[in-house]
Amino acid sequence: MKGRPGIAGQAHPFTLFSVVAGVAALAFLLPAPTGPVLLYVTVVALAILTGAGASVARAALICLPLWVLLILLLAVGGDGARSAIGPVTVSRTGLEAALAQGARLGAVATASFVLFASFDPSRFLDAVAARGWSFHAAYLVVATLQAAPRFRQRAAAILEAQRARGLRFGGGPARRVRALLPLTAPLVLGMLSETDDRAMALETRGLDARASRTPLDPPMDRAADRVVRWSVAACVAAAALWRLHALGAF
Amino acid sequence: MATPAVALHLEGVTLRYGPDDTAPALADISTRVCAGEVTWLFGALGAGCSSLLLVAAGLAPRHTGGDLAGSVTALDADPHSPAGRAALAGRIGYVTAAPAAQLSGVAATVWEEVAFAPANLGWPIERIRAAVPRALARLGVGALHHRDPATLSGGELQRVVIAAMLVLEPGVWLLDEPASALDHAGRLALYEVLREEARRGAAVVIASEDADTLLGLADRMLLLDAGTVAVDGHPRDILAGNAAWQHRAGSTATAALARLAARLLEPVPSGLRPPYPLDIESAIERWR
Repeated sequence: MKGRPGIAGQAHPFTLFSVVAGVAALAFLLPAPTGPVLLYVTVVALAILTGAGASVARAALICLPLWVLLILLLAVGGDGARSAIGPVTVSRTGLEAALAQGARLGAVATASFVLFASFDPSRFLDAVAARGWSFHAAYLVVATLQAAPRFRQRAAAILEAQRARGLRFGGGPARRVRALLPLTAPLVLGMLSETDDRAMALETRGLDARASRTPLDPPMDRAADRVVRWSVAACVAAAALWRLHALGAF
Repeated sequence: MATPAVALHLEGVTLRYGPDDTAPALADISTRVCAGEVTWLFGALGAGCSSLLLVAAGLAPRHTGGDLAGSVTALDADPHSPAGRAALAGRIGYVTAAPAAQLSGVAATVWEEVAFAPANLGWPIERIRAAVPRALARLGVGALHHRDPATLSGGELQRVVIAAMLVLEPGVWLLDEPASALDHAGRLALYEVLREEARRGAAVVIASEDADTLLGLADRMLLLDAGTVAVDGHPRDILAGNAAWQHRAGSTATAALARLAARLLEPVPSGLRPPYPLDIESAIERWR
């Protein structure tokens, strides 16, 4: 069976995308700060239960500096009634805002990291082809997602090549900045040149063909996948209705 | 005997990458390539071999920029018009010298990489399942079908990229240094496949400076110089004379031998006259 290991890896690609989109929508629709905090806790718990604990840790590492910044700016430096937490006093409304923003960020980042870790480009493209949707548009999405690892690989190769030619990256900031040019110039120029070559190669390989793409091994869309997708849609719709009601729209 | 069909026809083709006052990459080239023929484009760097392939494939100047004059017909369609491109989808096998840039970037295995084009063209899955292993086997990379293309060596990658075109059984092959990452045995195996393709009825055009190997493969050579066809004839006739080496084409042993022969001739006429020896055996025979 194709797909990455773990429950998320075996899920239908559309299920993963719908969960991430749903989490992003709910993060801003649910009442702050309780809603986003509960959402983040739920996302973390689900990720750990489905074997994606590493993605939780990676997302937390990325979010950590922003969480610290939010607390400093909104809670410590905020206005309004203050409460003492240990040796420092914080603004209560600022703390609530920091919690809400931090939890939103954490929930979306964790869901996105789980998606990236579980994402199988060929399964996604097969799923798109099986639905008869635009393969060209789907290819652009996947190629964009795949660009980061390719960029990293190429950067590592150029770094090694430049080191072999005597370029040194140590020393002070000025020296490091000077060393960036021999790294970035071949990296950017190489990627641009490769983009041209790839565009030509893809054209000759029928990417723009008028025929409907044949799915090679389309992923199964199981009942569980459909239940998850409909549940996410229902949660988002309910949260949106509640939000509109709270705003006095009806 | 029936006249072979013309698979590729260039008429008065001029290509400029820059403004009108810059030297053209191709200058008023007119030529025909027949089905079943292996044509070898030979020339020094900048002679126009790669540009000629790009124009024949309908890719330049659309992807490269520049201006094109003249007409191109491939398999009775114009590759430079939208209708022609639609009619030619999957019928022109264009291979560049940079195999890594030709990967789809979305295939998890070599099998998927080779199946990418047939799937795009809407082939039935049964046909794809039959054709992909056949193409891989012909290039000697059948055992790699489950490998991630990103983990292949340069030579393996080059063969996989060619298999990704071979699976389509194109009517016209346009190959730019297709064996640059292959060893001698690999080059011979690849050229045997291309010879089979010509026997099947495809027109095969190869731009290469690999004179050693192509000497025995090509039916015809176009020697390009500064964007023009300087000489058009049988490879053995052209290489054994002065023309190819005067145009500084080629860097292989065949080229070196002929240059050596020409140089020996230069200071004092020593009796060496074209046709020059093109391989070690004939050189020993000649200069013993």
